[in-house]
Amino acid sequence: MTGLPAGLAAVAGVLLLAGAAGTVATGALFGRAGADPLERLAWGFAAGLALLAGYVPISLTLGARPGAIALFVLTALVIGMAVLFRLPALRIPAPAHERGSGGSSLIRLLFLVPLSLGILLYLLRALTEPMWATDFLAIWGWKGKTIFGAGLLPAWTWRLPEFSFTHPEYPLGLPFLYAGISFVLERWDDHAMALLFPALQVATLLLVAGWLRRRGAPPPVPLAAAATLSGFEPLYAAFTTGMAEVPLSFFVLLVGTALVDALEEEAGGSRRLAMAAAGAAALKNEGIFVAAVAGVLAVAAGGRPGRVRWRAAAAALLPAVAVLAAHRVGRGSLPLRDFRFGLLLEPGFPSRLGLGLRTILAEVLIPAAPGLIAFGVLLLSGRRSTAGDRLLALTAIPLSAYALLPAFCVFGPDWLARTAFARTAAALAPLAAAGVALRLAPLLEEMRDTGYEIREEMRDTGYGIRDS
Amino acid sequence: MRARRALVLLADAFLILLLLAAPNRPRELARRIRLLSHDAARDPALRRLDGSSAAFDRRYFFFLESARRRVPPTATGVAVWMPSPSEAARNLAAYQFAPLPALLRPRELPSGWVLAVYGPERPEGWREIARVSDGALFTREP
Repeated sequence: MTGLPAGLAAVAGVLLLAGAAGTVATGALFGRAGADPLERLAWGFAAGLALLAGYVPISLTLGARPGAIALFVLTALVIGMAVLFRLPALRIPAPAHERGSGGSSLIRLLFLVPLSLGILLYLLRALTEPMWATDFLAIWGWKGKTIFGAGLLPAWTWRLPEFSFTHPEYPLGLPFLYAGISFVLERWDDHAMALLFPALQVATLLLVAGWLRRRGAPPPVPLAAAATLSGFEPLYAAFTTGMAEVPLSFFVLLVGTALVDALEEEAGGSRRLAMAAAGAAALKNEGIFVAAVAGVLAVAAGGRPGRVRWRAAAAALLPAVAVLAAHRVGRGSLPLRDFRFGLLLEPGFPSRLGLGLRTILAEVLIPAAPGLIAFGVLLLSGRRSTAGDRLLALTAIPLSAYALLPAFCVFGPDWLARTAFARTAAALAPLAAAGVALRLAPLLEEMRDTGYEIREEMRDTGYGIRDS
Repeated sequence: MRARRALVLLADAFLILLLLAAPNRPRELARRIRLLSHDAARDPALRRLDGSSAAFDRRYFFFLESARRRVPPTATGVAVWMPSPSEAARNLAAYQFAPLPALLRPRELPSGWVLAVYGPERPEGWREIARVSDGALFTREP
């Protein structure tokens, strides 16, 4: 079994089984009729990935070798808990057109073609060769391969200073996921495992389309948003395959959509937010930051009762803190290798800031100007949407932080701006796409002369579903 | 007014789709399809040899893979010695030898580690334990 097709079949099987188990467990995240089927599949996939990654540290902590049996036991426990804590089916039925098939067949075709092409092209880019990105070899894949090969997380990986280039301070969610798949397959297959990334792309597109559809966006909008996102090459590139940006982009979108739901007291919104925040925090330090921003946005959310805001903030923050604490207990305190925040107080800081921003402008923004202008036109053409604007705020705050961060980089602001800004910013694209789509939805609905805004207003006044 | 607005939005949406399609050059896609079909049935190491991570020095990857297969089971780590080290060489060595710790030209060699030398150089005071492609493996003289 050394060929790629057999490896792909095995990885696909693991991902499908995990996704199926996760989908069963989503009974605890949604009311029985509370989600769009596409959205539910996406959450099921996220839950499946959490199982695949989570059983590794749990097994290691218990002194057992991770494997199919340990995964099966954890899955059975999680499904049992999900059944025990499942949510009742409570929901205002969506207007008929919202659950429609996606508009006229011509419009569907118009967007299904680029959507399918986007998925196929990323499949080709991701699977052309074994994962090869610098950060895959030095960080994510290296840690996963080490955990799988050693059957544990060796202490030298974070204690030997010679291995500081592997960033021992980064969260371990993705390495545990790689190791989790490999323990089930009983081999390390860094080519077939690349299938995880197109699967994450598809899950992201399902979430975008399903969530927009559930929120009542008129038929072409969910499909158009998914189609546009599917072709977003800065995120779905050969180079990003194997790195943490693609999984992070999925979990950040889960955080954003769940934050909106939690603030609107949708059934299970807080639970979903907690799960998404834990996942984002386990993947990358940026995920911890996004969870923190979600918590702050929840507290600051206008027009919502205090208990709703604080519960959403707790759902975003506490799981992220728990993930941080688990890493701290396992590995001790590890400093951020690339940054020194004391630079803020040094006289050269303004010039460092300027250099970072100039580099971003010259190397990222100007080359991407046509796309950014087109995106800006869509953004400004839309109408105010509380939910959409929340997603855009959750995009804009981390984006601003990423732009300022190079000034603190010990290897030079221009180095970080050049090597990291574009891909970390790209991981926010699904969130931005969903936000813009929500702003455009009322516009398209106006053209149809139906009541999107009434529905949006009902949500904004909390005339929806309460968490149970 | 509405119709004009709809047209502007539609045109903008198509502009975005065009911009997104632009990076997909047919020549690159054809190259990817050729590589995939050529390598699909081959051994995983050969697929990596043909890929981007080994492109900076394919003989070096061959050396690493050959050395990996000959590292004694008692070894606790691997130090790689090469004439012109680079970040790419360091990362590939660490990845190939994982789960063993592997470093490029470390200052000190912990006990139990073997030395993998890429190239014709033969260090003094070391015992050769295996010849590998474009190099050799050594342990300390007892």
